[in-house]
Order: sequence, then structure tokens, then C-alpha cells
Amino acid sequence: MAASETWSLRPGQTLQHRQWDSEFVLYNDLSGDTHLLGDAAIVLLQALRTGPATRAALAAVLENEFEADAGDDKLDFAAEADSLLDHMKRLFLVDRSAC
Amino acid sequence: MLTVASLSRAELEARLAGPGLSVQTGPFVSRIHSPIERIAEGIATLYGDYPLRDFDGFADFHVHMRRSGGLRRWYRPQVSFDIDGLEPFEPLPQEHAFPMLEWALNWCISTRAHAYLMIHAAVVERDGVAAILPAPPGSGKSTLCAALVSRGWRLLSDELALIRPQDGLLVPVPRPISLKNRSIDVIRDFARDPVISRPVENTTKGTVAHVKAPGDSVARAHESARPAWIVFPKYEDGAVTSLEPIPRARAFFRVAENAFNYSPLGAVGFNTLADTIDRTVIYDFRYSVLEEAIAVFASLKPPAA
Repeated sequence: MAASETWSLRPGQTLQHRQWDSEFVLYNDLSGDTHLLGDAAIVLLQALRTGPATRAALAAVLENEFEADAGDDKLDFAAEADSLLDHMKRLFLVDRSAC
Repeated sequence: MLTVASLSRAELEARLAGPGLSVQTGPFVSRIHSPIERIAEGIATLYGDYPLRDFDGFADFHVHMRRSGGLRRWYRPQVSFDIDGLEPFEPLPQEHAFPMLEWALNWCISTRAHAYLMIHAAVVERDGVAAILPAPPGSGKSTLCAALVSRGWRLLSDELALIRPQDGLLVPVPRPISLKNRSIDVIRDFARDPVISRPVENTTKGTVAHVKAPGDSVARAHESARPAWIVFPKYEDGAVTSLEPIPRARAFFRVAENAFNYSPLGAVGFNTLADTIDRTVIYDFRYSVLEEAIAVFASLKPPAA
């Protein structure tokens, strides 16, 4: 995937979520579906609420949010962002468009 | 207030066979029409405490339990259920008429009462707070419900938790508790002088009978209750009694799976269920000994309001 690849929320949906412990339940009023998601997925969705973002920017959002939690472990935030975005694309929450 | 018990058996049968018997169960008025003696018998046994309503007033459900026509009038007679001209169930042997009426009334509510988030669950209350017991058939839900009710818990429902979206409170719809097979004798032995309808054999659920709802639960059917616990019961022969907390997000989906109308309600369903999850503590509960189950429920501490 290109770092400049752009992701956005699917248009027309209103997302509501609740958090219990470290898990989130998300409701998509467009599809009527309810999803169980982790905190990293919610961070990405919240970042996309302000508008489309590149893959690189979204990886940076994850790094900024979770770097401190990672401690000395080297985490591949770009790969994590790719995995989460692909997962949420299959759930019809986000879309990608090549720029 | 007149109750069904104020009618003589002849008057009851005349209403059922004529203009219909209008009876209030929780927030609903059902107008029941039937010439079948088993229907009158079941209602006389189990519905004596329920308020009578005018036979020409408003009713939410117009339920007809009819004798099937043609040869079936004489040869292995059958009963059919229709509502507003629809027959959602296949006819059944006429001996099954009363259980079929109970299933029909459940069907009426679960397919039409979308002012509530409806969960397939028993609901019992104590000291103003309620336990919701969602569970699929065979989990021992109704047996546990009947046992709790026989030990002083108020019956809100054996089948339908009605959660009002406006305030998140549980609205009672106390009706007879449905028991199957071995549970009938279990409750006959466990409860103190239970009133149980005539067991009906060879139904699709086996032998079924219904336990009369306590008069106090019927009289307090207008009193809603705050949900405090969601308990998923599971009867297992020989199981050690155990109560295990369930993470809330996981519980959300398990409750939604047991809801009749979570999806049709859309965002209202999501928020109503999420608010219910927020205000309850949630457990998996395994049991095999009713007395121990009663003791566990007696020890439950409600969360802060």
C-alpha cells in the first residue's frame, strides 16, 4: 500500500459507540450493524471523523496514541493501521481512494 | 375493579364464545374469542386475578382461537389461531388449545410491541430492582423464574423483558409461567401450593403446563422496575452453583441475540440496550439445585443507581 493512499469514513453513516473496559461496541446507523472493536480501531475512526486521511497520517495517529503504551517494544504502527483499516473496510465503515 | 374471577364459568364461556373476553395483562389489552372449552378452563384456572376490560373498548390484540372446520371438526379436532385475519401458526390438536393461546399472546407482543426493546427473558423484581434472565429454550430459565417467584420475587414476565426506551425501566407483563416436562413436577414439589394448569402432552415442546402468576404480581403490573442484574441462567444436571461476571461489551451482544427487535429499533435499540448494560451487573449462572440458586439470587447486591 502506498503511504499516500487516502482513507475516509463511508458517507451517510452516523457512528455511535460505548466503551466498557477496553472494548468498544459501535453502532452504524447506515448498515444497522453493531460491531465489537478495540481501542485502536476507535482511534482511527475518530481521526477520520474530521475528514479523509492518508495511510501514513493514520499510522502516525496510532503511534502518537499508543507509543507510550508500547514501552521498549518496537511496534509496526503502519502494519497495524493497514490491518485495522482493511478490517473496517470489510465492515463497510471506511473506504479507500488512491490519490 | 372487576377481574376475570368475577365471572361465573358460564359467563366466562359466554363471553369467550360471544363478544370476546377483554383482559388486561400489563400494558396490553387482549380480546380473546374462542368456543373451545380448554381455553375457558385455562383462563378460569390462571387468569382469575387479571382486570376485565369492556368488550366494546379498545384492545391491542384481537385473538381468535377457533375450531378447525371440515372433517377436523370431528376427526382429531384441531384448533387454529388467527389475529386480524392472519393465521401465523399451523393448526394444532384441540387438546393443545390453551398452550397455543399462551404462545399466541407471546407472539402478539413480540411481533407488535415495538414501543419497547423486547428481550426473550424472564424478569423478576425484589425491593424495586429487577433481574433480567435472558436464555434460549432448555436453559432452565422458566424453572428458575417460577422458583424465584415462589420465594417472594415479583414476576414481571416469564418470557418478555420490555424495556422502555424513554427511561430504561422494565415494564411488567406478568402472565402464567410456562413449564416443560420434568420442570412441572420440580416446581410442583418446590413451590408452596402452586396453581398449575392441566399438563398437555405431546406438544412441540413436550409436555407443557403453566403456573399461575401470583396475585400480587398481577395487581402490581403497573409498577415498572429498574434493571439491576442480567443473569444468563443455565441448568446443568449435577453442576456446582456458580456465578461468573461477564465483560459488558460481550454481554451486550449476548443480550442483543436474545432480543426480538434490537435491529428494527435501530439507534433506539442500541442506546436502550447500552444504557441497560451500563446500569446492570451481568453474570453467567450455572445451577442444578434450586435452593442454592435461590440463595445466590438473595445475595445479589444491586449496583448504585
